[in-house]
Amino acid sequence: MTNTPALTADGLTKTYDELVALHPLELVIPSGQSVALIGHNGSGKSTFLRMVAGLLEPSGGDLEVHGFDLGDVEARATTSYLPDEPVLYDDLSLREHVEYISRLHGGDGFDDYAEEMCARLGLTDRVDDLPSRFSRGLRQKTAIVLAIARPFSLLLVDEPFVGLDQPGKAVLLDLLDEVHADGATTLVATHDPAYVDRVDRSIALRDGEVVFDGTATVDQVLALVGG
Amino acid sequence: MTRAESIAALGDLRRARRRQRVAEIHWIDAMYQVYITGVIAVVALVFLSTFIGDGQVDADTAADVLRHGPAVCGLVAALAIFVGLRSGARGGPLALERPDVRHVLLSQVDRGVALRGPAWRQLRFALFVGVAVGAGLGQLALRRLPGNQAEWMATGALFGATVAMLAFGSALVASGVKLPSWVATFGGGALVAWSVADIAGRAPTAPGTIVGRLPLWPMDFDPLAVLGVVLAVALVAVGMRTVAGTSLESAERRTALVGQLRFAVTLQDLRTVLVLRRQLAQERPRSRPWVPARAGHARYPVLQRGVRSVMRWPLGRIGRIATLVVVAGLAFRGIWAGTTPLILVAGPALWLAALDAAEPLGQEVDHPGRTDTFPFERGLLFLQHLPLVFMVSGVVGLLTGVVALLPGPSAVPPGEALLVGVVASLLAACGAIVSIVQGAPEPVDNLAITTPEIAGTRTVFRTAWPPGLAVIGTLPLLAARGAFDRPVTETGATPMAAALLATLPMILLIVLVAAWARFYDRIHAFLRDAMEQASPTKAAERASAEREAREQAALEEVIASADAARKGDGDDAAGGSNAERTPKPKPKPKPKPKANPSPPAAGVQGGTSAKPIGRRRDQEPS
Repeated sequence: MTNTPALTADGLTKTYDELVALHPLELVIPSGQSVALIGHNGSGKSTFLRMVAGLLEPSGGDLEVHGFDLGDVEARATTSYLPDEPVLYDDLSLREHVEYISRLHGGDGFDDYAEEMCARLGLTDRVDDLPSRFSRGLRQKTAIVLAIARPFSLLLVDEPFVGLDQPGKAVLLDLLDEVHADGATTLVATHDPAYVDRVDRSIALRDGEVVFDGTATVDQVLALVGG
Repeated sequence: MTRAESIAALGDLRRARRRQRVAEIHWIDAMYQVYITGVIAVVALVFLSTFIGDGQVDADTAADVLRHGPAVCGLVAALAIFVGLRSGARGGPLALERPDVRHVLLSQVDRGVALRGPAWRQLRFALFVGVAVGAGLGQLALRRLPGNQAEWMATGALFGATVAMLAFGSALVASGVKLPSWVATFGGGALVAWSVADIAGRAPTAPGTIVGRLPLWPMDFDPLAVLGVVLAVALVAVGMRTVAGTSLESAERRTALVGQLRFAVTLQDLRTVLVLRRQLAQERPRSRPWVPARAGHARYPVLQRGVRSVMRWPLGRIGRIATLVVVAGLAFRGIWAGTTPLILVAGPALWLAALDAAEPLGQEVDHPGRTDTFPFERGLLFLQHLPLVFMVSGVVGLLTGVVALLPGPSAVPPGEALLVGVVASLLAACGAIVSIVQGAPEPVDNLAITTPEIAGTRTVFRTAWPPGLAVIGTLPLLAARGAFDRPVTETGATPMAAALLATLPMILLIVLVAAWARFYDRIHAFLRDAMEQASPTKAAERASAEREAREQAALEEVIASADAARKGDGDDAAGGSNAERTPKPKPKPKPKPKANPSPPAAGVQGGTSAKPIGRRRDQEPS
């Protein structure tokens, strides 16, 4: 799998009636790379991530995840998606969420790793509570646990810092570094220009088109997408 | 992950969720819902029984039923397939939960396994409803038509189940194979059109008609009708096989909207239902208007805003209004030919069209936070929106009249057709205005707490009055028909004169509705105050406050007289009066004034913004 790119987009495009959300995109992301996806609101970052996650259907072009077509079981097995807005069951506790979602992905349920995640994000005392009664920030932390506690090799993260307090943000940054160090590919869409210092590669989008692809500094990012 | 593991993991997930849900069920509420459903079902059955009557039809009518019944029932089956195909093309019929899409369908679990469970549950419910409604209608048919009770109920139930399966199966197949929306519309529409032509006797037997022979088995057994059942079962089977192909994009969009839609229906919030239905159908205003708007200062900005909204109508909305115009026009022809109950088709069709015409007004009602910031009453804003609603409805009415007067069977005379078309459409616009301005019922209703019977009647009135207005608008056509059927010497009026005479009260109704919209907020505030005055709790509170005030006044009077007496004694310098020795009674503390809600500041009446926070902050000393 290491020789196969984690992600290959060939002429990938998405349109809504007359609106072009993503112009034909050619992109290859090698396995194990950490990538920041930057751009204004409406630049196409979330659209691209949601297409890679399998939640949006491309209007044209091809998309492969680890060499598998989008939507294949193998592609789903390797891809974990952390959305900007947590989507959780109303009637399952945090522990039950982790247990069942991990099992759906062939994991071990609420194991030591999940317990450690909860501890690092300050959720240990809340594992038996319903996330539907959590604050926005705690729900976001729950979503982080769910995205990371399951097996994956490609992590898609959309605006991860929304609603997080400073300690939560620091833990998430550490976690992203750790999963990258473990060999996973990370693709993080963010408005935070400072994040580009932590990644191997930055891709800037503007109006659905790639305007920069490479290693960027914070100043370059600000020049590209404003700040 | 193997199929067995998928099933086991999903089973565990569902069992855990069921445990949690069962623990949270309010059993009294659940039983109350069952009770209410039962009462509504009985009332509907009794109403329909009364409407249908119980005298056996004569041989000619029975022959008529046999001749046209299959095509009419076939139209129901064709409509079921049409609705199913359209729903499936938009990602239906499954209404999944959003977390299920995100966590289950994005996991390695076999999507067929994950989706078949909800599909079976939904089909089970659809079958239950189909069988219950079919058996009920069979029971009603029995009252007028020859045949055995068990046969009528059994065939009715079978037909109901078949229709449910046709709708559900077509939706599943359309969703699973990702049928394009236009194919679904044209394919389903062709079936419906064929059935309509079959009813009119202008087309060979439609496929729906074969299915439509099923419920008439007690009168004439046609084994060919079994094909309908076979087709329905086959559609469900194919749908279950292809369900894994359901688009996640459509499914996720549907998850959020269907939940909100159900909630809005529960709240009888028609406006929200309309908006959500449009979103579900992905009916969005055009980004470029049909006719570009002129830039510059507008003398009538509200009217201009409305015109811009109409100029952005998508093609789908125009098509829907055109269809409603045709339906209403054909219903006019039917009414003219003597089928009076068709006013119940023409009125609601025009009302639905008017709801689209009132979209700009609806947008204002949807955003009370914004209208609250305008430097004038909401009622004035509403009033300025009405001309456009009436203009668009007038055009719709004229087109309806044109459909009614076109040469052919049961054509309505041109003058009457155009007049009644416009009048009926304007009254339908009034109904739409009432629907939109009155909005959803308030969550806390004083009237409902004090008198549930009155509140129930009011709920029925709220729901039935707007389409009722539209039905009233068709009455001039009945007046014209009445005059047409009898010689002028007998009635003293030509059909046109009779229609014009019947139009006069309609004009008064239009003026009344416009005034109601203008003063809606004031009327509402007045009624709320009146309700509070009439409330027994409030009355008791007021009596208590008045009693305390009286006691306080009496006490102050005693103290004042004692003070006066003491002052008199002091003047006499005589040693020690009783008043001086008597300890001064401690004055009773004044009752705290009840917190009255402060009246809204000028310009913020109505709407839902409870506090003018910005203004209050501005008024604080810096």
